[in-house]
Amino acid sequence: MARQKLPATAVAVSLALLTTGEHAVAQNASEMEARLNAGRAASRSSSLSPMDAMAVTPSLRYSSSNFRATTAGSAWLVGQRWQLGDAELSTEINTGSVNGIRAEIQTSASRIRVDQANLSQQLDLVGKLHLIRENSGMWLGSGIVKPLRIATVSNVNVSSGGIWTRYGPATIRASVTTFAFTRSAANDTASSGSAVAACPAAAQQSLGAEAAAVPMATSAASCRRESRVTDLEGGLRWEHRLMEVSLRGGQRFGHRFDVTPASRTWGSAHAAIWVSSQLAAVAGGGREPAQPTRGLPSRNFYSLGLMLAYWPIPRGAVLVESPANLVRAFEMRAAGVALQRVTARIGRVETVEIMGDFTDWAPVHLVRRGRDLWELLVPMGAGVHQINMRIDGGKWIAPPGFPSIRDDFDGEVGVVVIKPIVKS
Amino acid sequence: MKTIFRSTAIAAAITFASLGAGFAGALSAQETRDRSVDPLYKLDPQTRYAVEILLDSARAAGLPYGLLESKALEGITKRASGREILTAVRRVHRTLIESRSALGPTATADELTAGANALRAGISTSELSRIAASRGNKSSLTVPLIVLSDLVRRGVARDTASLTINQLIQNGAADDDFLGLRHNVERDIVSGTDPGVALLSRARQLPTRGPPNAGPPNAGVRPEDAKF
Repeated sequence: MARQKLPATAVAVSLALLTTGEHAVAQNASEMEARLNAGRAASRSSSLSPMDAMAVTPSLRYSSSNFRATTAGSAWLVGQRWQLGDAELSTEINTGSVNGIRAEIQTSASRIRVDQANLSQQLDLVGKLHLIRENSGMWLGSGIVKPLRIATVSNVNVSSGGIWTRYGPATIRASVTTFAFTRSAANDTASSGSAVAACPAAAQQSLGAEAAAVPMATSAASCRRESRVTDLEGGLRWEHRLMEVSLRGGQRFGHRFDVTPASRTWGSAHAAIWVSSQLAAVAGGGREPAQPTRGLPSRNFYSLGLMLAYWPIPRGAVLVESPANLVRAFEMRAAGVALQRVTARIGRVETVEIMGDFTDWAPVHLVRRGRDLWELLVPMGAGVHQINMRIDGGKWIAPPGFPSIRDDFDGEVGVVVIKPIVKS
Repeated sequence: MKTIFRSTAIAAAITFASLGAGFAGALSAQETRDRSVDPLYKLDPQTRYAVEILLDSARAAGLPYGLLESKALEGITKRASGREILTAVRRVHRTLIESRSALGPTATADELTAGANALRAGISTSELSRIAASRGNKSSLTVPLIVLSDLVRRGVARDTASLTINQLIQNGAADDDFLGLRHNVERDIVSGTDPGVALLSRARQLPTRGPPNAGPPNAGVRPEDAKF
């Protein structure tokens, strides 16, 4: 029974990896995105029979500058019948960036349905504090996960921390996540993926004297045991033109009752190649870790299929705040012979770049000097110059306050006249 | 055996991630190097050949050919196709030739550039010639032409914009007057005023500083248009 959900989970994992990440951070415009993954997925675990089925995973995402909501579901073809699988609704609210610090709250309600008797529901509430710099950042997070249909696991306290950095088209991230919870039922074989038992009696049966000697906070009446699992995970995401690649790997630390040898390490890879603006071929495979709070064992999987993407609200068409409106001031002042000091006042953004004929049209980043002050010295001699700016990697625009002309590439470019310095 | 396998897998994963990061960094550094040595290296061979011919042609004709190369680089960064880049460079080349024809052989590179921008904004060569004819011997047309292009882009009718700019040049308006005018008109347009009305209204508020040149009074301006 449990095996039926695995293909859809595998596809959902690929979908999640393809649709999240730092590249989606700091969108200033409202955006709606619909995606549909369809293809073949298979998984194999030590405790379940191999599974191979067709799976379909639709998802819908809405995001604005301070809010994001995602809903996703899945269905898979078993025999001749379509079965409904997982469902998830998640939201994220953030404060925007103040001095590079952003707070956010993530909530999620997810449901995994195997059949009427096996239903896993879970509520997640996580708070995160991000420190974001130009091409890197770190975060600390804490929250609680409440499994609704797994009697063997109490509320789970989740603590996490991580760092990320960008090198050109690549984003590398590393994180540490700790799960602390109490097991309260007699046996919990599903989560561990083996016959290891949570209660002393069962543990002794399965592991013998060695297991019995392990100190556990148990009570004979309730058979409770405190569990703590720590995941160390690293990932790489690389985007180049029409290709997106994600790699992920990790190691789990914890007591042998919580972390079996089969679920100690994992790694996976996913790739998407966009064959048109709305169609991509996706493939992925690897090993997924066990999910103790959900009662899922670790497993090997692969998925192969197509992904359709559709944007009912065109990107940038419905602006909450247009980039130009975010710019409260943009000035250029002489800072010496053939040198100009560019200053901009732009709040709640992560990056500001300019480019122009004076940089041979190579983008250069302005440096944050305060809560909303950005600054840069650029070599620019007397004469007429053309300049563009962009915020958070968005569209190139003409800086406000300057004359502008069309740029011959469906955009605009600002025109700056630098007068020669007259010596008195 | 399993331990060995696991260690190998972890080592392989770390090595792969490091190689990926190193590869990405090397790509970025290589791109910077390539761009400084050969700015047009990203163009496909056919587009590059055509652009280089245009560059040579502009250089031979004494035009500010840097503007053509700049346009190609702009197109590369903005991810335009080779065909779009070539079209844009050709347009710049053509308008530079027309700009020099309209402004005369004594026009500076900045004036030619501003004139070419005005032509691409929709100003005709005859209008450009009229403006050139009304300028003073020492006054530069660069800023007036930049402001003219901006006004047309903001929705002011071409005739209204060129006649107004022409009149202001004759009245001896300085560069700061033109830039202030553009700023005020932009603000009025944002407030909902019709672009043409905003321009005429703001232009009337500018003081007359006296004719800057010894040229014919009201050159190129029809009497019925000389309202201020």
